[in-house]
Amino acid sequence: MNRVVKILLIEDDTLDQIDVRRALDKKSILYRLKIAKNGEEALAILAGTGDDIFNGNPDIILIDLNMPKLNGFEFLARIKTIDTLKDIKVFILTTSDDKDDKERAASLGVSGYITKPLKLESPSSIDAFNLMIDLMNMQIM
Amino acid sequence: MKITHAILLSFSTILLLFSITTYINFRQAELVNTNARNFERSSIIIRHSNRFQRNFLSMVSGLRGYMLTNETFFIQTYDSSTHDNQRILAELKTLVATDSTQQSILRDVKKLNDHWVNDFANPLLKAKKSGEVSDSSKFAFTSLYRTSLTEGAEKKIQQSLQAKFFEFTKYEYDYRELQNKLLTTSTQNTKSISIILTALCIIAGICIALFIAHYISSRIINMTKMANAIAEGDYTVLANDKGENELSQLARTVNNMAKILGNNIAVLKRQRDELDQFAHIVSHDLKAPLRGIDNVVTWIEEDHSFDLPPKVNEYLALIKGRIKRAENLLHGILSYARIGREDKILEVIDVNELLKEVQEYIPKKTGIELRIQSSMPVLFSERVPLLQVFTNLIGNALKYHDKGLGVVKVYYRQAGDKYEFFIEDDGPGIETIYHEKIFVIFQTLQERDHVESTGVGLSIVKKILDDRGLKIKLTSEPGKGSVFSFEWFKIENYE
Repeated sequence: MNRVVKILLIEDDTLDQIDVRRALDKKSILYRLKIAKNGEEALAILAGTGDDIFNGNPDIILIDLNMPKLNGFEFLARIKTIDTLKDIKVFILTTSDDKDDKERAASLGVSGYITKPLKLESPSSIDAFNLMIDLMNMQIM
Repeated sequence: MKITHAILLSFSTILLLFSITTYINFRQAELVNTNARNFERSSIIIRHSNRFQRNFLSMVSGLRGYMLTNETFFIQTYDSSTHDNQRILAELKTLVATDSTQQSILRDVKKLNDHWVNDFANPLLKAKKSGEVSDSSKFAFTSLYRTSLTEGAEKKIQQSLQAKFFEFTKYEYDYRELQNKLLTTSTQNTKSISIILTALCIIAGICIALFIAHYISSRIINMTKMANAIAEGDYTVLANDKGENELSQLARTVNNMAKILGNNIAVLKRQRDELDQFAHIVSHDLKAPLRGIDNVVTWIEEDHSFDLPPKVNEYLALIKGRIKRAENLLHGILSYARIGREDKILEVIDVNELLKEVQEYIPKKTGIELRIQSSMPVLFSERVPLLQVFTNLIGNALKYHDKGLGVVKVYYRQAGDKYEFFIEDDGPGIETIYHEKIFVIFQTLQERDHVESTGVGLSIVKKILDDRGLKIKLTSEPGKGSVFSFEWFKIENYE
């Protein structure tokens, strides 16, 4: 069954958006990617007020931590209070290698912590990304 | 009041008291002298008066003897005594104070004496002499002799004279006794006053000394405490001293100094934090666009390297190399800024084990042997900075080695309460003029294209050692090699 995985990417940097798209393209999955430039925009999409390409909630949210307006942690904290959104798998996508950030993300119940850039040279980053892809494949099957 | 003034005033007081004591004693000595002189004079006066009385008796007996025997020998006695008494009277007159009772007694004595000589003795002698010549004269003499000597008038004069002299000498004796009594009293007084004043001086001296010593030492102790507190980093301690003296001023100066020091340290701390923050932001924010460029170049390489002319691919590789260098520099800045920001953790460090770990971080270089002294010491100190120092120094020795074959030696020796570690290589060596420069951040002696180097490694080593007050030394001879040596603690304490 060729189900399409719905991904909401919250990322303000165009290059990083391309980076994610390229990384996804290399995997054998079908996906639909919606991009929000910040947390507020993402909330609007999730509330269905924006143009909705998903028909419902996304399967996965990929979110940058450092963003204007509503940042990654604020966004996370917000959706955890909304019943319809709190079970969506969330992956952090960030340049921050900071221990505090990782611990804080874990405490907010994220599914994975992926560090940018998505390069083969940084194994931890690729591992986390592959974990996300495995999760998507599981949902597809 | 100023302390110098207080000291001056106290010593002046003591000096004044001593001066008074000396003056009183001096006055007393003068008094004793005067008394001695008076006593001597009084003795002379009494001696004279006694002699006068004896002379007078000689005169009387001389006169009578002559009258009875007609011997000229008696006349001689009479004459010499009369003459002597004239002289004694004159002398007494100078000895006795003018306008005194004694002087009036003396005048009476002289009157009586003259009266006796002129009214009795001389006329008798005259009559006696002329009595030798004629009978009428003899009769005249006999009648005069009778009236003069037998009727008692002459006797009365003698008695008056005696009474006068008794009065005269008694006055002298009384005077002397009175003087003696006065002298004894004043000597006694002087003694008491001297003792009291001397005792006062000593007590005042001790009190002043104690007061000043306490006054000064308590303030100095206070200031020492304060200086210690400042040394320990507490700049808020203030000596509460509102006085006007020099020590109060000193205390206020120290207060002021502490305040300025505190402010300066606060400014320094803030600036250091700002600098760290700045370094962090700069390196972090510069990383993002660099990564972006790197990404794009990678995408071009991945997707289009076959479509591009070889020259373009070559340039792209150059761009990637420069990106890598920029990333290394940013990493260096971050590492440098991070030194000393970590919490101090002391642990047992086996330097043998530590150096094994160091070798894992350093890329090996073929032909260059790393020779580490067996049984390196075990320390109790901070592990991470020591690891960093070894890694950077040994890493440099290998990285910059310019010969096909070589040895890098690591060894140590005791240096008091520290160890001194040596990293010796037989590489290119460093010219003396660069020995300072190599420890400055971003300084590198080789072209960057030749050996990828950020110029941060040695500055990090230097900063780690400087922060701990430890020394690093370099001895080197160009062409022969270099020896870096640095100190490290054997056993370190938490401060």
